Amino acid sequence: MNIHSTPQLTPAETALIEAFGDRLTLLPGDGNVMLKRDNAIEALKAGLPTRRVESWHYTDLRRLLTKVPEFDAALEAKTVAPLIEGSPVLPVLNGVAGKPAAIEGVTATPVSAKLADGTYAAALGTQGADDAIGALNTAFVADGWLLDIADGTSLDKPVELQNMQAGGQVHTRFAVKVGTGVTATIVERQTGTGAALVSSVDNLTVGDGSNVTWLIVQEEPDTASYFGQFNAWIGKDAKLTLFVMNAGGKLVRQEIRVVTKGEGSDFQLRAIDLLAGDTHTDVTMVLDHAVPHTGSREIIRNVVTGKARGVFQGRINVHQVAQKTDAKMACNTLLLSDDGEFSTKPELEIFADDVACGHGATVTEINHNHLFYLMARGIDEKTARGLLVKAFVAEVIEELEDEQIVEALEHKLDGWFATHG
Amino acid sequence: MPAVQETIDRVRKIDVDQYKYGFETEIATDKAPKGLNEDIIRLISAKKDEPEWMLEWRLEAFRRWLTLEEPTWARVEYPKIDFQDIHYYAAPKGMTGPTSLDEVDPELLRTYEKLGIPLKEQEILAGVRKQSEPSELDGELSDNVYQSGRVAVDAVFDSVSVVTTFRKELAAAGVIFCSISEAIREHPDLVKKYLGSVVPVSDNFYATMNSAVFTDGSFVFVPKGVRCPMELSTYFRINEKGTGQFERTLIIAEEGAYVSYLEGCTAPQRDENQLHAAVVELIALDDAEIKYSTVQNWYPGDAEGKGGIYNFVTKRGDCRGDRSKISWTQVETGSAITWKYPSCILRGDDSQGNFYSIAVSNGYQQIDSGTKMIHLGKNTKSRIISKGIAAGFSQNTYRGQVSAHRKATNARNFTNCDSLLIGDQCGAHTVPYMEAKNATAKFEHEATTSKISEDQKFYVMQRGIPEEEAIALIVNGFVKDVIQELPMEFAVEAQKLIGISLEGSVG
Repeated sequence: MNIHSTPQLTPAETALIEAFGDRLTLLPGDGNVMLKRDNAIEALKAGLPTRRVESWHYTDLRRLLTKVPEFDAALEAKTVAPLIEGSPVLPVLNGVAGKPAAIEGVTATPVSAKLADGTYAAALGTQGADDAIGALNTAFVADGWLLDIADGTSLDKPVELQNMQAGGQVHTRFAVKVGTGVTATIVERQTGTGAALVSSVDNLTVGDGSNVTWLIVQEEPDTASYFGQFNAWIGKDAKLTLFVMNAGGKLVRQEIRVVTKGEGSDFQLRAIDLLAGDTHTDVTMVLDHAVPHTGSREIIRNVVTGKARGVFQGRINVHQVAQKTDAKMACNTLLLSDDGEFSTKPELEIFADDVACGHGATVTEINHNHLFYLMARGIDEKTARGLLVKAFVAEVIEELEDEQIVEALEHKLDGWFATHG
Repeated sequence: MPAVQETIDRVRKIDVDQYKYGFETEIATDKAPKGLNEDIIRLISAKKDEPEWMLEWRLEAFRRWLTLEEPTWARVEYPKIDFQDIHYYAAPKGMTGPTSLDEVDPELLRTYEKLGIPLKEQEILAGVRKQSEPSELDGELSDNVYQSGRVAVDAVFDSVSVVTTFRKELAAAGVIFCSISEAIREHPDLVKKYLGSVVPVSDNFYATMNSAVFTDGSFVFVPKGVRCPMELSTYFRINEKGTGQFERTLIIAEEGAYVSYLEGCTAPQRDENQLHAAVVELIALDDAEIKYSTVQNWYPGDAEGKGGIYNFVTKRGDCRGDRSKISWTQVETGSAITWKYPSCILRGDDSQGNFYSIAVSNGYQQIDSGTKMIHLGKNTKSRIISKGIAAGFSQNTYRGQVSAHRKATNARNFTNCDSLLIGDQCGAHTVPYMEAKNATAKFEHEATTSKISEDQKFYVMQRGIPEEEAIALIVNGFVKDVIQELPMEFAVEAQKLIGISLEGSVG
C-alpha cells in the first residue's frame, strides 16, 4: 500500500494483522475468496498509507489510526427508524445481515452466502496500491446485502440499507445491480453506538436509462472510525444522484469512485460535511468521464467548528475519447473556528480537447454583510449566524427532488445544529 | 469549446521545430571532468577562488544530497538521470570571472549578439551610436528588450558570468549587481547572511545539488530606500555539450527598495538531454518590492521529443518585512521538462505575493509548474493567475499550493488557473492544494470561464460586437493584465505568445 518501505508496524497495523489471524477461521469464503483476503492483508502488512501517498495527502492514516478495537461477537446492534417512514429496511447488525424486508422487484441476498460459495470473489480486491479501504474491507468483510433490481422497476419508497454497529469491528458490503429503465432511491445509514472500526464498501451498477438516487447518511458516534467506499458505474442515458452527509465519527474517510460508462450518462454529487469536536473527516472523489457526451456536477459544502479537520479531494479524469464532457465541481467551506482546519484539492485531468470543465473552491468565514443585514433587522448575532450557516448547507439539500427526503434531511440538519450550533 | 484557428496558428509559430536559438558556438572551453564528488566541488570552489567557508557550505550540501532521493511526485516522465555523466563545470577558456568587455572573447560577444543581447552599452555611453541607430552587430534581429540598451545584463555562459554591464551607473545608485562568484569574494557578509536563508540547503533534491555545485548566477543588492534606476537582467546560455547549468541567484531588497529583474535563457539544439537545476532566492524587507520576470526558452527537444533541457528549478521569495511585495511573472515556452514552482513566503504583516504565468507546451514537452503561497503574517494577500496551453503530445500541469497558518489573520488569496488543449493527444492537469487553518482567511480558486460575467459580455455585445469576439476581448483584456506585469520593454518579446486568445478554456 505504502510505496515507501515501513520497517516498523504501528500498534494499529499490528492489531489489524493479528485480528486477521484470529478471525481467519470465522470469515466466510471459498478458496478464491480466501486468496483475495490473503492478498489484501499482505498489502496491509506493507503499512497503512501516509501523507506521502498522494491520495492520502491530508489523511495520514498511519498516524491517525491509533486504535483498532477487537471483534466482539457478543455485542448486539439494533436497527433504527428509517429516514423515510415506512421504507423497507435491509439491516446489517454489527457486521451480520439481519432480517430483510420483502420488496417487490428487488431480490436481496446476504453477502455472507455469496462469499461462502465463492460467487462474490471477483468483486473483492483493491483498486490500485493506494486503496487501503478496499484492502481492509476485502480482508475482513463478513456480510452485507446484494440487491438485484429488476428491469423496469419503479420503487415508490426508498430502500434503506442500515449498517449498525455496537462496537468492535464491522466490515460490510452493499452491492446493488440496477437493471434498465429503473427508478429507485436507496438510503444507506451508517451509525451505531460503540467505539467501532467500520469499513463499508458499496458497488453500484446503474443500468441503461435508469435513474437512481443514493443517500449516504453517516452519523457514527465521535469515538468510531469509519471508512466508506462508494463505487459506481453508470450506463447509457442513466442518471445517478449521490448525496453524502457526514455528521459524526472520530476519523472518517468517504471515498467516491464513479465511472460514466455509457454515453449520455449523468452524475450528480451533493455532499454536506458537518464537522465538530476533535475529529478528522475526509471526502475523496475520483470521477472518470470515460465516454463522450457525459455530464457531472459536484457541490460540496463544509461547515467546520471546534478543532475539526476537514478534507475534500476531488479529481475529474476526462479520458481522451470523452469529447463533449461537461463537468463542474465546486467545494465551499465555512471555517467557523480558529482551531479548525480545512484542506482541499480539486483536480482536473483532461485529455480531450472539446470539453467544458471547471472547478471552484472557496474557504471563508461568514459574510459580514449578510450578518449585518440580518442583525440590522433585529435578529441577534447567534441566531443570525445559525440562519446563515444553515442556509449555506440547506441549499444543497433543497436540490433533491423528493420532498419527503428534503424534509427528513433538514430535520437531521436541525438536530446537528441543536447540539453543535 | 475547441480552440479557435487563430490560437492554433499562434501556438504553431512557437512549436518545437521552430526553435531559432539552437545554434552552437565553437569556443574553446575549460571543463571539469565528468562526475560529481567532493573533488569536483573543491575544483569548482578553487576555480571561483572562493573562501573556505563557501567550500565548507558546498561540501555539507553535497553530503546532504547523497542522502536524498530524487522526487517523483511531479507529473513528468523521463529516463533516470545519470548524475555522474555530467560536467559540473564548463567555462570558455581564459575566463575565470567577470572581466571588462575588452577582454571578452569576440566569439562570445557574437553569440550574445545572435541571441539579440548586445553587451555593448559602452558604445552607447560613449556616444559612438545613438540607441535608435542599428549597430553593425545587430544583424537582422527582431526587437527585444535588450536592444533598447537600457537594461543592465549579467551574461552567464555555461558555468561562468561573462560580463555584467552598466555596473558603474548602478554602483552610483548604491545597487550591487554582479555575478554571485564575485559577490562571494567581494561581499561575503551579505552572501553569508542571506544565502540559503530562503531555500535551505536541504530543501529538496535539486536545490541541495545546486547548493553543492552552483557555478554562477547573479547577485543583486538594493540598499534601503533605493529604487533601482534600470531593469536588471541575466541571460543564461548553455553551450557546451554534456554539461549542466547550475546557477544561483540571490536578490535582496532592503527597506523601501524596489527592483525589477528579468531572466532569459536559451540552449543549442542537441540530441542529448541537458540538466538545468537553478536556485533563485528573493528577500524583501519592510516596504520593499521585487519583480522577477522570466522568459524561459530553453531548447525544448525536437518534434520527436529527442533532446531538450530538463529544467528543475527552485525559486522562492521571502516577504520578510511588513508591507513587502514580491511578484513572479513567467512566460514558459521552452525545456523538454519543466519542474518549477516560484513561491512566496508571506511572513511580514500586510505583505503581498503575486504569481502570473503563461505556460505553452508543444511537441513532447512536459510542464509541471505552479506556485506556493504560504501565508504566515497578518493581512497577507496573494494572487495567482496561471494560463496553460498544451498542444502536440505535451502534458501541461498546474500544481499550486495556498496555505494560511494559524496566525495568518485575514489572509486573502485569489487563484485562477485555466488551461487550453489544442488537439487530442495532449493533456492538461490542474492540481491545486488549499489549506486553511485560520477562520478569517479567505481563499478563492476558480476558472476564467466562470469569471466572464454575463454582465460584461452583455455590455460588450450590446455595442454590436458578436459573442465570440466579445469573449475574446474580455479574456484578452484579462491576459493583458498578466502581461502588464512584465517590464515594458520585455513585453515586446512576450507579445507573440500573449496574443494567444484563450477562448475555449477548460477550467
